[in-house]
Amino acid sequence: MQAAGTERRGGAVDPPSTSPPEPAARVPRQQPTVWQRMIKYRLMYLLFLPVAAYFVIFQYWPIMLSFVVAFKDLKLGRGIARSPWVGLDNFVEIFNDPQLLQVFSNTVEISLLRLVFGFFPPIILAVLLHDLSSRVFTKISQTIVYIPHFFSWIIVYGIVFALFATGSGLINNVLAALGQQRVDFLLSEAWFRPILIGAGVWKEIGWSTIIYLAALATIDDELYEAAAIDGAGPLQRIRYITLPAILPVITFVLTINLGFILYAGGEQILAFYNSAVYNVADVIDTWVYREGLGRLQFSVGTAMGLLQSVVGLILVLVSNYVARRATGRGIW
Amino acid sequence: MALRRYKSLPETSYQVVIHFIVGMIVLSALLPLVYVIGMSLTSQNELIARNYFVIIPQEPTMEAYRRLLTSEILWRSIGVSVLRAVVGPLLTLVLTVVGAFVLSRKDLPGRNLLLLFVVATILFRGGLIPSYLVMHDLQLLNTFWSLVLPTAVDAFGLLVIKMFIENIPRELVEAAYLDGVSEIQLLIRIVVPLAAPAIAAIGMFNIVMHWVSWFDALVYIQDPNLYPLQLVLRNMLNTEVVNDQMTQSLATNQRVSPESLKMATVVVAIIPILMVYPFLQKHFIRGVYMGAVK
Repeated sequence: MQAAGTERRGGAVDPPSTSPPEPAARVPRQQPTVWQRMIKYRLMYLLFLPVAAYFVIFQYWPIMLSFVVAFKDLKLGRGIARSPWVGLDNFVEIFNDPQLLQVFSNTVEISLLRLVFGFFPPIILAVLLHDLSSRVFTKISQTIVYIPHFFSWIIVYGIVFALFATGSGLINNVLAALGQQRVDFLLSEAWFRPILIGAGVWKEIGWSTIIYLAALATIDDELYEAAAIDGAGPLQRIRYITLPAILPVITFVLTINLGFILYAGGEQILAFYNSAVYNVADVIDTWVYREGLGRLQFSVGTAMGLLQSVVGLILVLVSNYVARRATGRGIW
Repeated sequence: MALRRYKSLPETSYQVVIHFIVGMIVLSALLPLVYVIGMSLTSQNELIARNYFVIIPQEPTMEAYRRLLTSEILWRSIGVSVLRAVVGPLLTLVLTVVGAFVLSRKDLPGRNLLLLFVVATILFRGGLIPSYLVMHDLQLLNTFWSLVLPTAVDAFGLLVIKMFIENIPRELVEAAYLDGVSEIQLLIRIVVPLAAPAIAAIGMFNIVMHWVSWFDALVYIQDPNLYPLQLVLRNMLNTEVVNDQMTQSLATNQRVSPESLKMATVVVAIIPILMVYPFLQKHFIRGVYMGAVK
């Protein structure tokens, strides 16, 4: 931590290191010791105190508890301290319970489906927005397609309900008008995932273009002009200029998404699902909420959550490392 | 966008095609909303007369909204949502800006350790049940504070604002020190105004985040008087919530159907988002462009 040399190490808002201005500056200036600097910054530590308190109480305390409760058998009314340690029992229980293994496979399946069907639409939309010749139309389109990103999953489910409900939903009314049978879309195991993932694409397609558009904005127009002079058509431009320019970003987004494979979007599923579709809908987050918290299986629920956090952290670190190696760009 | 200069046949047909495709995507974002609004304005009579197949109502009626606005439950939930969307972001901004100000001091002993202490919480969380147990121990369950304290610091926003503060020109700050301002004055008079774009962006984002949150209330709140609007809407839409107070309090008749009431509530939940959206677009989307979000 000791400052070395005379280089300026201060950040923008550090007080000037030359203060206080002394007239007798003959003596070579001495670097302050860590202790002196800490005293100089005592107000800063004081200011940071409430921030640190927040992190300790609302972030680190739950993390600490997750490592304790996952290895205990916590019963309501007994308290954490007086609950017995049970070693790895909770984890053994998880891996011996077919229902929980189903929950894990649902989680991975839904994440992968989201990736397969949600990955390309924003890339295509970004390329199209980039190529549009009308600036005004581009702006208006962007303004509109970003909006659903800011809706809650409840609002999105309200819209899904309006379209897919059996009695009053638009699609069933079209079916009925065409003389077809009505379909219980919202109670159907076959339809749950397509609707879930479709609604997810609908909500995020616009917002997800931003990262690609930022990369596309850096392409030099001269490249396109040169290509046009060489007689390249629109599709060749996409193939040889546009896509190569965003390929690193595409690789980056793909790798990072793989790192979040244990997070299948529990909040959306909780808004969308019902008991008729648990078999295909239940993921780690929904199970922890409904069974872990709702049925007081605190310890198994915490163990599930801990497993998700630890494996998730490893996956994110690995995918970030891979993304950095492949594209020179990571989350951090 | 440089392409508009080339006016060959393939270019023109390409432009026609992509305008069409983008237009379809834009319509698919808009039309469901139009349908929801249409449903909210349709009377029960018309629904039955036209066999529930109504896209644009022929005799639009505000009855559903009139009925909703008499609902004490709805007003109370709007009150909770507005309160959390004001108190929450204010609290978050104060703590987050102060944290960013402190951590922007490159000379601060232990700075890297404190940074790690903040950033680690983005990557690793305690999870639902441990968080619930903490709220239980703090006796915050079933209180308004359980909706705002868990997000009282925005770790990600802190990094963005810190980056902004670090880019403030040194001369400005040194001049301020020569004028003899205190650290607190420096923060309020120099740093906050200069980091205003980042602070506004993070503030807007937190306002919307609070307005659309419902899962925290589902977990922490039992008292229906403290339900935010999104949770009231969820209970109306979810067929497995039995004895939903809101649904029961809104008797339906020929003039207003349960469907219209649901859709009107969806619209009520959307309107505030559309109201702040222009500001969001101005501040946050520009912020995202700067590479702030992944």
